Amino acid sequence: MGRRQTTAAVSLELEGFRYGSAPADALHGISLQLPPGSLTVVRGASGAGKTTLGMILAGMLPRPGMDTMTGHLELAGTRIGYTPEHTPRIDPAGWATQVGLLPQEAGHYLSGIRETVAEELAFTLENAGVPAPDMAHRVERIARDFDLEHLLQRDPARLSGGQQRLVALAALAVNESKVLVLDEPLAGLDARATALVLDFMDRLRRRGCTLLVLACTTGVLDPDLVLDLEDGTLHASPGGDAPYPVTKRGSVTPDAPVLLEFRDADLGYSSGTSVLKDFELSVRAGECVGLSGPNGAGKSTVLKAAAGLLDCRSGSLRATDTGLLLQNPTDQLFERTVLREVSFGLTKRGQLRQQVPQVLEQLGLADVAESHPYELPASARRLVALATVLVREPKVLLLDEPTEALDQEGIIRLLQVIDGILEVGGAVLFTCHDWRFMEATAHRVQHLGGNGPRGRDRSPTTG
Amino acid sequence: MAGSSLHPFTILAVAAAVVATTTAAGIWWISAAVITGCLVLAIRAHCARKLVLLSCAIILPAFTSQLLIHAVAATHGTRILLAAGPVTITAEGLGLAAALGLRTAVLVVAGILCTLLIDRHQLVAAIDLSKAPPQLGYLVAATLFLLPQLAGKQHAIGQAQQLRGVDAGWFQRLRLRSVPLVLGSLQDAAIRAPHLAARGFPATGSRTRWRTVPDSPCQRRIRYAAVACTLLGPLAILAPVWMGA
Repeated sequence: MGRRQTTAAVSLELEGFRYGSAPADALHGISLQLPPGSLTVVRGASGAGKTTLGMILAGMLPRPGMDTMTGHLELAGTRIGYTPEHTPRIDPAGWATQVGLLPQEAGHYLSGIRETVAEELAFTLENAGVPAPDMAHRVERIARDFDLEHLLQRDPARLSGGQQRLVALAALAVNESKVLVLDEPLAGLDARATALVLDFMDRLRRRGCTLLVLACTTGVLDPDLVLDLEDGTLHASPGGDAPYPVTKRGSVTPDAPVLLEFRDADLGYSSGTSVLKDFELSVRAGECVGLSGPNGAGKSTVLKAAAGLLDCRSGSLRATDTGLLLQNPTDQLFERTVLREVSFGLTKRGQLRQQVPQVLEQLGLADVAESHPYELPASARRLVALATVLVREPKVLLLDEPTEALDQEGIIRLLQVIDGILEVGGAVLFTCHDWRFMEATAHRVQHLGGNGPRGRDRSPTTG
Repeated sequence: MAGSSLHPFTILAVAAAVVATTTAAGIWWISAAVITGCLVLAIRAHCARKLVLLSCAIILPAFTSQLLIHAVAATHGTRILLAAGPVTITAEGLGLAAALGLRTAVLVVAGILCTLLIDRHQLVAAIDLSKAPPQLGYLVAATLFLLPQLAGKQHAIGQAQQLRGVDAGWFQRLRLRSVPLVLGSLQDAAIRAPHLAARGFPATGSRTRWRTVPDSPCQRRIRYAAVACTLLGPLAILAPVWMGA
C-alpha cells in the first residue's frame, strides 16, 4: 500500500479476479474510475458479476487465502495492490467509512439483533462509539431524509420488503461513506420511496458522495456514465435500456368463471391487528390483475391469504387451486439441488413429477438442474422458485414482486409463463412497483392503501 | 419486561443471591417459599403460565431422577415405607429426594423467571454499556438472538413447504424442516457476516448505545448487596456446619 495523488474518489484497475477454486476468472480487464460526486450505473444480466464488482470495491472480496485477484485499488489517496500471492487484509469497518455497500437482498444488511428501526439505523454508529447526542442527531436526520420517522419504533424484521430496503439504505447512508455502491437500490420500492431515494442520491452527490449503482437496467436513474458488464468485463454502454417485451393480452370474457374472490375480507396476521379490512377483489379465468400500493399496504398479505397461508378473519375468500411465488425467493428454496427443489413433494411416479424437466426447460434452468439454488444468480434463483410453483400447474398464479432481481431474459420468461397460464384459462394476480411491467402485463390494476382508492380498479396508466 | 424500570443486572444479581443462599441453606420450607415468591412475581408480570409450563418441563424429569436415585433404589434409611423385591422406599430417601428436588426447582424457577422478566435487548444493551469486554456482549447477543432467528426461518421454510402441499405429522415436519433450517441458517450467517463486519460488529473499541437502560443509585446499592450476599451468604450458612464437623 502507498499514498499517491488521484482525481477519482475510487479507482480500480483489475487484471483478473477468480473465486476460490473456480476454473475461470469471474472478472477481468476492468478499468474503472469514479469521480467524486458522480453517479455511475453498471448494468448487466443477473450473474454477469455486478455483485462481485461491488464487493471488490467494498473490500469484501477477494477473501484472503481463498480468492485470487491481480490489480490494484486506489481509494482516499491510498493504493492497494493485489497479486495472486498476496491479498492484503482489509479492516472492514474502516473500509466501510470510505466505501459502503448495499447488498441486492437488502435484508442481509440489517443486523437482525436490534429491536427497532431507530436502533438499526444507529447500529453502525454504536459500534464506532459515536457519542449519544451526535448519534441521535444523525439518526433523526437520516430518518427524516428517508421519511422513516413513522417506522422508528417498528421491528425491522416485520417490515415489508420495500420498507426493509429503505431502512437498509438509510442505515448505510448514516455512516456517511465517501463512496456508496448500491446493488439494485430501487427494487421493490413504491413510487414515493423511489422519489425519496432519488432525491437523497441527488443530495449525496451534491455533497461530493460518489455513487455506483449495480442494476439490470438504468430505469429512472439519470447517471453521468452507464457501463455494461458482459463476459466478465466492462464496456461503454451503447444506449438506453432494452425495449420492454411485448405481451399477448386478449380481452377477458365477462361471463368467465371467477377463480379467486375476496368479499368483505378482513386480513391480518394472528398476533397483530388487521392489515386490510372490507377487502373486495375478484379475478376471472383468463384475467391478469395487478395489485399496486405503497410499501406496507398489505399486497403480500392478500397473496398469502389467497394461497391459504393466512385465514380470513371475517368475510369470505374463495380460491381455486392457487400457487404463490413469494417476494423473497430465498424463503421458498430449501433443497440441495434445483432438480430436488422443483421435485419436492411430488410423488415419484406421479404425472406432475414427469413435467419437472419440461418446466426447467421452459424457464431456462435445465443446465443448472444439479446446482445448489443458493449458488445461482438472483434472477435464476427467482426462476427456480417460480418453477416450484409452476410444476404444480396452479389455476391461479400469485406473484409477489416477480420482477425484483429478474434480468431481461428472466422477465421474458416470466411473461411467457403468464401468457401460458392465461391461455389455458387460468388467472394471475401479482404485486409490482414496476409500472412498465404493470402496463405490459395486467388487464387491470387494483390499488391498495395510500393515496388511491382502497380495493377499486384502476387503469395501469394512471400510476 | 420491556419498559421495566429495573436494570437487568439488578434482577440477575438478586436472583443469584436468592438461589445461592437457598441452595446453601437446603431447608425445604425456604425453597418452597422462594418458589412461591417467584410464582407471585410471575403472576404480577402476567407470565405465570409460561413459568409453570417451562419449569415443569425441566423440574419433573429432574425430580423423577432424584426419586429413582434416593427414594426407590436407595439402601440407606431405617424407616421403610415399602419393600418389594429390589425396590425399597424409605422415609429418609423420600425426604432427601424432596430436598434435592426443591433445591433444583429453586434454581430452575428463578432462572426461568429471569428470562421471562428480562428483555433480551435490554440485557445486551446493559452489557454493551457496562465495563464488560465487547466480546461478552457479542456472545450474549449471538446466543439470545439465535433462537428467535431460527424460529423465523423455520416458519418461512414451513410456509414454503405448505405451499408445496406438505401435510405431514409433527415428526415428519420436524425431519423435513431441520436440514434446510441448519443449511439455510449457515448460508444466511455467511452472507450477513461481511456486512456485519463492515458495520463494525462486534465492536472492538469503545461503543455507545442508542437504547438507554434505566438505572439508579438505589438499584446499584441493591446489586452490591446482592453480590455480597451471593458470595458471603453461603459461607455464613455453611461455615458453622463445617466448623462443627
